Amino acid sequence: MTGAEPAILDDLRQLLVTVTGRPDLGSVAAQTPLFGAGVGLDSLAGTMLLRQVQRRYGVDVAAEDLNLDALETLGSLAAFIAERVGEGPWPEGQGPC
Amino acid sequence: MIKCVVWDIDNTVLSGVYLESPDRLPDADPVIASVLRELASRGVLHALASRNPPEAADYVRQVTGTSFAAARCGWGSKADAVAAITAELDLTLDAVAFVDDDMIERAEVAAALPRVLVLSPEDAADAASWPQFGPAVVTDEARRRAEMYEQRRRRQAASSKFAGTREEFLRQVGTRVTIAPAVAGDAARLHELSVRTHQLNSSGVPLGAAEFGVLIRAPGRLVVAVRLADDFGDDGLVGAAVTELDDAGTWSVPLVMMSCRALGRGVLDSLLGWLCRSAARAGARELQVPCLVTERNVPMRLALAAAGMRAAAGAAGADGRAIFARSLSGELPPVPDWVTVETVP
Ligand SMILES: [Mg+2]
Repeated sequence: MTGAEPAILDDLRQLLVTVTGRPDLGSVAAQTPLFGAGVGLDSLAGTMLLRQVQRRYGVDVAAEDLNLDALETLGSLAAFIAERVGEGPWPEGQGPC
Repeated sequence: MIKCVVWDIDNTVLSGVYLESPDRLPDADPVIASVLRELASRGVLHALASRNPPEAADYVRQVTGTSFAAARCGWGSKADAVAAITAELDLTLDAVAFVDDDMIERAEVAAALPRVLVLSPEDAADAASWPQFGPAVVTDEARRRAEMYEQRRRRQAASSKFAGTREEFLRQVGTRVTIAPAVAGDAARLHELSVRTHQLNSSGVPLGAAEFGVLIRAPGRLVVAVRLADDFGDDGLVGAAVTELDDAGTWSVPLVMMSCRALGRGVLDSLLGWLCRSAARAGARELQVPCLVTERNVPMRLALAAAGMRAAAGAAGADGRAIFARSLSGELPPVPDWVTVETVP
């Protein structure tokens, strides 16, 4: 795990709460599967999550990851992002598009 | 009454993407350009909200011959842009409509600002005749369509207030999904869906009504139509899948498509779950969905991934397609109990 990963993970939890409208997901474990029972990430919430990731970190997961395996868990998504950016999220509205 | 319409630019007011081809900028969409003029003649204001540089707004003014009372061009959220424009023009959110070709942008705005009337470009072309836009004459048909949008708004408001999982909400509001073999009378609507669905369409190839008619009758093919209703209203035929039933143990699905009306309502997941289970019951060992890999249909790829389907790495071929497949042994994706399946041969 790189230094930025825990901060990214916390940020992703907040994004997940926003895109699903479910406050209970603010404490979801890093290893909980995003697809299927539990989180139940669907096309709508999943696409919104990927777009937020792109806006905040400049990482286009869908363009780089054909199978979207990065979305297996929040932990795998955080690792995918951390490998591509050195620091944490940009302040709101200041990240690259 | 709607006093201002906030328009997206790319693939909405313009028939193309502004930044895609700088030496040959896209024209105005002719249908939308005439809606802009018609609404302006009734005193409705227009505004722009776009992920483009500010020059795009100037270009749109020029190419549509329309004046825009406000423009927000930037990389922030569309909901923020619509709220800012509403404040700038001193309006209330009930007096504002938002038009965008991207269903995810529409869903975000509808969730954040449930009082705003959120429309696709196809809806917007129709909406000029709805009572909210103050046409000279309101027909019964226009009133009926406007009512369908009110249903959608009520569902959105109920969903925003609901404390629980999406699945609990869908169950609570009596969601009913029906999967049944398509019949000849479905062909026209299937054609319309194949033209209008971009983000939840696996093939990216529009088919004519006659072509659907042939597929529906063809031996060795199964075309299923998916219908959706709940306590708020009946959305009718919202999606379909075309399947080739292969003796060699593979069900290949050359087309899966779903209307934005079904977005976030568990319908596509149910259809994919049903395909897996039907194929397994018929003795197939693998389900394959060839899918065009584009920026636009990421929502379709997400649904395939959620159903456990994967493509071979780097598999997008020269035609831009990758074959997403999954084995049909072991645990299959679920079909919720609110899905009704009619007899499939
Ligand atoms: Mg657009």
